[in-house]
Order: sequence, then C-alpha cells, then structure tokens
Amino acid sequence: MELLKKNPFRDKFNSKKEAIDYFVRTFFMISAIISSSFIIIIVVFIAKEGIKPFITDNNGIGSVNLFSFITGKVWLEGTAFLSNLYGVGFIIINTLYISFFALLISMPIGVLTALFIAKIAPKKIAEFLRTVVELLAAIPSIVYGLFGSGIILVFVYNFAKIFGIQSKGGNSVLATVLVLALMILPTITALSEVAIRSVRSEIEHGSLALGATKTQTNFKIVLLSAKSGIFTAAILGVGRALGEATAVSLVAGNARSGPSFGFFETTSTLTSTMLQGLKETVGIDYDIRFSVGLVLMVVILLTNLMLNFAKKRVGNINVK
Amino acid sequence: MSNKRIRIDRFYQFMTYSAASIAVIILSMIIIFVISNGSGLLNFGLVVNDYHAKFYNGGIDNNITFSQTERPESLTSEIYYSEKWGIGLIEEENREGNTIISVEYIDIDSPLRNMRDKNNDNNSLSLSEGSIVSSIKFYDKNSALTIHGAEHMINELDTSDDFREIVYSSLGGGVRGSIITTLYIIGLTLLIALPIGIFTAIYINEFAKKNRVTSLIRSMIEVLTGVPSIIFGLMGLAVFVPLTVKYTQADSANLLSGSLTLAVILLPIIIRSTEESLKVVPDDFRTASLALGANHTQTTFKVVLPSALPGIMTATLLAIGRIIGESAALIFAIGTAIKDDISIFGKSTTLSVHIWSLMTDEPANIELASTIAIIILIIVLVLNLIVKLIAKRFTKNFG
Amino acid sequence: MENTVFTINNLNLYYDQFQALYGIDMKIKRNEVTALIGPSGCGKSTFLRCLNRMNDLIEGCNITGEVKFNEKDVYMNSYDVINLRTKVGMVFQKPNPFPMSIYDNIAYGPRCQGIKDKKVLDDIVKKSLTKAALYDEVQDRIKGSAMSLSGGQQQRLCIARAIAMEPEVILMDEPTSALDPIATLKIEELINDLKKNYTIIIVTHSMQQAARISDKTAFFLMGVLIENDSTNKIFTQPKNKKTEDYITGRFG
Repeated sequence: MELLKKNPFRDKFNSKKEAIDYFVRTFFMISAIISSSFIIIIVVFIAKEGIKPFITDNNGIGSVNLFSFITGKVWLEGTAFLSNLYGVGFIIINTLYISFFALLISMPIGVLTALFIAKIAPKKIAEFLRTVVELLAAIPSIVYGLFGSGIILVFVYNFAKIFGIQSKGGNSVLATVLVLALMILPTITALSEVAIRSVRSEIEHGSLALGATKTQTNFKIVLLSAKSGIFTAAILGVGRALGEATAVSLVAGNARSGPSFGFFETTSTLTSTMLQGLKETVGIDYDIRFSVGLVLMVVILLTNLMLNFAKKRVGNINVK
Repeated sequence: MSNKRIRIDRFYQFMTYSAASIAVIILSMIIIFVISNGSGLLNFGLVVNDYHAKFYNGGIDNNITFSQTERPESLTSEIYYSEKWGIGLIEEENREGNTIISVEYIDIDSPLRNMRDKNNDNNSLSLSEGSIVSSIKFYDKNSALTIHGAEHMINELDTSDDFREIVYSSLGGGVRGSIITTLYIIGLTLLIALPIGIFTAIYINEFAKKNRVTSLIRSMIEVLTGVPSIIFGLMGLAVFVPLTVKYTQADSANLLSGSLTLAVILLPIIIRSTEESLKVVPDDFRTASLALGANHTQTTFKVVLPSALPGIMTATLLAIGRIIGESAALIFAIGTAIKDDISIFGKSTTLSVHIWSLMTDEPANIELASTIAIIILIIVLVLNLIVKLIAKRFTKNFG
Repeated sequence: MENTVFTINNLNLYYDQFQALYGIDMKIKRNEVTALIGPSGCGKSTFLRCLNRMNDLIEGCNITGEVKFNEKDVYMNSYDVINLRTKVGMVFQKPNPFPMSIYDNIAYGPRCQGIKDKKVLDDIVKKSLTKAALYDEVQDRIKGSAMSLSGGQQQRLCIARAIAMEPEVILMDEPTSALDPIATLKIEELINDLKKNYTIIIVTHSMQQAARISDKTAFFLMGVLIENDSTNKIFTQPKNKKTEDYITGRFG
C-alpha cells in the first residue's frame, strides 16, 4: 500500500492494469503516427530537393526556368553540357503516350482472360490460370526488364528491319509499350476477375432465360455489369505503368529530345530519366531527379483524379 | 439456333481461349528465357564466389624441387599437363563469356603450391585448383599470356626451370556479396517494418476510436500503396541516406538506408494484411476476454494477436518477396556498387540491383543476369506458393 | 394448335444424392394461369425451372422422365435449349433488370436473336412495354437507366422483356415476393390481362394470390405433386387431406 501511495499515476489510473493499457495504447499510437506520416515526409522532402534547381543558380549553370522545364522539348544534362536546359514536357507526353498504348494492349487481353477464368474455364483450368496470373504478378520488374532486353528488343529490332527501319538495338517506344503491357497484364486480369465473379448470378440467369447463349450472356451482360470493377483495374494498371522504372529504363533508349510518337523511335519516360546520371551525388543533376519525381507524382495524381472522374461519369449512366 | 449465331459464339469463345493462353505463353517464355540464358552459369561456385576477382603475383625461389609427377589418369584429354611443375590447365569460358585458362589440377608436390607473394614478402602464396592464370612472365623469353592458349603456357613452363612471376586470380563474377546483402536487407527491413506495421494495424483496429482522425490515418497509409517505388527511392536518398551518414559511420548510401526505405514501402502491405486478419477474429473472443477481467492489452496480446498470426505470416512472406524483387527504390537508397565485403554501413547491392548493374554495363551481361534471375524467380515463386497454401489452410479453419 | 402446352411424365430430379422431385405427372393447358403452391422447399420452384431447363445451370442436377413442350421432350439431347427459352420466358423472384437503358433491356433478347433493324426493335420495345402496362410510366425516359425504376416497375420491365421474345409460356417464380402491396396488385392485374395471349405458370407463396389469379392450382409437398385441379376445386373441396390442411393453414 505504501508503494501505491507513492505512485504518481495513482490519481489518474485506478489500477496497474489501466496504466499498462494507457502506455501500450500510447506506444501503438506512436507507431500509427509514424506510419501515416511517411506520405508527408515523402512529399515535403522531395519537394524541398526538387525546387532547388529553380531557385538556386546551380553552381553557375544558372537557375532552371520552371515554365520551360514543364514544357521543354530537350533534356541536356547540366554538368555535361553546361546548360540549364532541362525540359520534361516531352517526357511527360512520352510517359502518357506509352502508358496509353500499354493499357490498350493489356485491357482486352486481361479482361478476356479474366472472363475465361471466372466464367468459361473448367474449375481445374481456372485454378491453374489463376496461379499463372498470380505468378506473373509476383515476378519482379527487373526480371521483366531482363526479359525485355533479351527477347523484346531483339523482336522489335527485327520487326523494324522488315519496314526497313534501323532502330537503336530495338530500344524504342514499341519495346517499352510491350514490356509495360506485360507488366500490367496480371494486375488487370486479377482485378477484372474479381469484378466479374462478383456479378450477381440473377442477372446472368435473366439473360439466359431470354434465350441468350452463354457466350452472349458473358459478353453482353457479365462484362457490362462488371464495368465499374474493370475500370478500377484499368486505373491501377495505368498507375503501375506510369511509375514503373527499372524495366522501362532498360528498353526505352533514353531519348534526350522528343516527344517520340513513332513506334521505332527511342523514347524516355519520367522514371527512366530519373535513373539517368546516377553517379551524381551533389549539384543540379542530383537535384533535378527530385524535380522529375515531383512531376511524376503530380502526373500520377492528375491521371488518377481524371480517371476516377471518368469512372463516375461512366458509372452514372448505367450501373447502379 | 442459327448457324450464324453458333459461328459468332464460337468466335467470341475462341477469343477468350486465346487471351487466356497468352498469360500462359508469357510465363513460360519468361521462364524458358531465364533458364536457357542463365542455367549455364548456375552452379555452386556462383553462389559462394566473390564478384571481384582477387589478383595475385607469385614468384619462386631459385632452389626449388620440381614435382615430376606423372599425369594422373583422371585428367581428361582437354587438360594440358606439365609433369615437371605438376599442374594441369584447361581453357574455359568465364561468366562474362571470355576465354580463360583455369587451373584444373595441381599436384601436392608442385612448387607452385609454395610461392612468394611478390606484393608482400612476408606472405607465401599457394596456387589452388579453380584459380585463373592470366600470365606467366619469364626471365629470358616472352611471357605466356591467356590469348596464346593453355597448351602454349604448359609448353613454355616445361621448357623453363624458373619464371619471374605468375599472375593469377580467383574466379570472379560470383554473387556471394549480393546474396549476403539481400539477406541482411531482408532481416533489417523486417526488423524495422514488422513491429511498426503490426502495432499500427493493432492501433487502428483495436484501440483507436472510429473517428475522423483514425480514418485520416488509415487513408494516409492507403495512399502509400499507390506511390511508385522509385519515389520511395528518392525519399530514401533525401531522408535516410543523410540521416544514416550523420549518425553512423556510413559515408554514403548504405544497407541501413536501403532497409529503412524498404521498410516504408512494406508498411502499407504489412498493415493491410495484419488488419485483414484482425478483422476476421470474431468480436466474441474480445468480449469474452474482457468479461473475464483481462484488460485491453492482455486481450490484444493473448487473444487477438495469436488469431491474426497466419495473416502476419503471409504479410512477412509477401514482404520478403517484395524485398528480393525491389530494384528502383534500392538503386537510389543503396546504390549500384557490387561489393564482396559486406557491412551494414557500407555500400553493396541486392540481387535485383545486381541484375540492373549488369544490364546497364556496356556490353550487358545477359547470361549472368539471367542466372541471378533464376535464383530470384525460384525464391519469389516458392514464397508465393507457400502464401497460397497458408491462405487455403486459413480459410479452412475459419470458413 | 394443341390445347396442351406442357406434358410432364414421371419427372424425377436429383441434386447429387438428394432427390428434390418425385415422379411428377402433370399437364398444363394453353392460355391458362397455373399456380404452383406449397410450403418452402417443396420443390415448386425447382419444378418450374425444369420447364425451361434453367436447372441445367446447377451443377450436379440430374433429371429422369419426360418434359414435353408442344409434344417434344425438351430433355432430349438434340433439343435446342436456346430455342426453348425464347418460347418459354421467365420472370424471377427479385427484379433483375440489366444495368442498361430500359430500351436496351427489352431489345436485348431480340438482338441476341440477330434482329438489328432499328424500326423493328423500336416497334418491339413499344409493344412489349404497352403490354406490360409500363409504357405510359416510362415513355419519356425510355433511354434512361433501368436501374432508376422502382421495384414494381423493374419487375414489369422484366415481364416486358420476356414478352418481347413473343413466348408461348411465361414462367413466374414468386414475382411479387419482393414487392409492396400496390406493386403486387399491379402485377396481378397484368397477369390477368396477359393470360388471353399467354400460358402463365406462376409459383407463389400466397394462397390468396393463387386464388385471385389462377385457373388451375397444383399443390406440392416434399417434392411430390399432391393435387392438381382447378383453383376453385382446390380451395373449396380438396380431395387430399394434406391439401386441405395446407389450405386451411394447419401447416406451412
């Protein structure tokens, strides 16, 4: 009892148990606060480094003009070329252009595969395919990059030759699109499958009872009803395509000017540009990577907002 | 049903079959590609060897006894053998695809087993099997070099009683350093991320009131899942690298800064997975425990957490897979230097970044990269299958 | 035209090991409303689904016996199921409109048959909606989403959707169980209207409903057809004791 009297928490807590509860709770709360604070740390620190090229004179090279940075058509590394002509305008366009085509290839394949797994395939084959898709999703991006440089570059190089075009060892828009399409395929397939499986069976039965065939039902009713979920799959696919770095940097070819629209031209994306000039640890070529990172974050954010808006518009017309 | 309808139906069906087969084709192509390119180099030596070859310069004394051992029967016909020196050499291709001359056999009595280290007189050197001989320099004639071939080297040795110097090296191109780095990183990252992640999940799910602050915390963590890993890499570069440089003996990007960065990447995965398994635990368990007089902490640790264990295990395995596969973030947060001596505060690189380094070299070393890819793929695929098995077990128990 | 639409001979149905229907024999006459009644799980819905072979969709479901539609056994191997379902329409327990416009919902069936002509489709849509007594309510938003209709309207849309196929028979599986009394009344009026042109077979939970709308009533119990007679007889002087017990509310 003597001890208890001396306990400074005596007034606050009725028992030792309550005191422990309080401390554990506080401790856990600190963990939660740490976890949630990282998004702020990311934004603040990348912004802090990323604005340096615009507000300092970069050791005599001169400050980078923000407007020409955003709209620029060339990227000249400062220390190498002694220039402050950093432009990411064409790189933004390249990135969006490539992601769009990657999605264009992956969407139909992914959605049809999902339909096959969810509705058409016998149980065992469906289970097998589901495992295949999961394994594809688990393959690290660097392995896709390796596969891209080993197989896809060769394929694109020979393919370009047919048209009499000499590509830079296959490094091109097409190769980048193909590698990205491979990489987002498992994401799109897996999420579409979930969407398709969650379609109410009554709706399907309604269609079958009207004399529609199983295939007509699958294509006209099931896909339509799963539209919103499939759209979500596409949004996540685009997100992955925009942010993918190492694999892309191995097949893009790192064009320093652009934008590149021709399928056999070399190109560069925001991420592949960030992986350039790795040797630098100070100076503008170090800082500018953060500026590109900032741009990447903004591009991803805006794309997501736009697609989510589009999803709502599409959703409102037909789907509940 | 009309023929036309049947044909249209068949066509649509066929499209789904072909789409589904594409996934299978891609997976088999990737696997076939890495195996056909990488299996040639896949052996135990790759896993235990250093990446950077160590060079030695050996010299001999004047009064040596030659070995004079007859050619052992076990040596194949491709091996060139010198009776006088007791050494058998063979021409091989190394991991970079260049021709090398390596020591296939060396006799116990060979004088080459007992040489002076020309760089350090106090040291003695012993040529061992598996070493790569790059040149032998003589006093009175031209040096025998790798490009002259193994046969020439043996002939020159046989016709000499001594030589000025033998330059040889260990076989480089191994990935031991990168494997150790990867293991270190897995350990360190989990050590940081698991407690924070699990505690966060417990706080959100068990302790926090359901108010706006909690949902804000939740959505701030949720946002992290959408951030590309290269952005995490930048954060590591801007936050953790300076931090570790300031407070530890590190002088640039290091293992610790890489682990911290990876920990942040893994947090949302661990938190979500733990939360999901916490949600499955029936509320009855909690009320029953509380009704028996246990406090919130006891209930959480003794009742709720054990039930969530499979979920935490799954999260851990997925996290390991992610760590092994991660490249973009680590290129910034650890760097791309391939090292053999690993220290937590030093530079070095994981297997994935090792591939990236090999691929961005001129010319790219696809063979060695593919070999590493085989190792990575096996680990990642096995981890995923285990996760699947756990998931099956788990649903059986609760469903 | 034959006077009998469906002839069912010794129909047995199994779900894996479990037998759900026992030796059903029944005839269903053209242009009549036949009500199927009985307690939950008695097999009346299962029986209904045999008539347009919707049970095919359930795994492990096996059938022996004959279901003759216009003198042909629908369970013969060569029988065209798709064709059967265009002739025998179905309305489900819960309204299940497709997530598309009202127009597209009704045009869906004909389009699946390969009808593409817009004028023909317009005509079908208008006729079907009119027959289902829905046209006046929705004519100004026919291109609007079907999901925005009320429950009762959605169910009538589903009926219109079935009518659009110009079926001979419409099967109804407790079509009003998810609706409020007013919507129920409207559907019942509609059924009264439709029986001039269609044969209707309706599963219902409510004996009052069976009494109000049907010409014939069949009483099922534990997978057995206990009694099948004119509605009037069933409700006033049932032959079987079990039927009487059920009608008078002693069980069920």
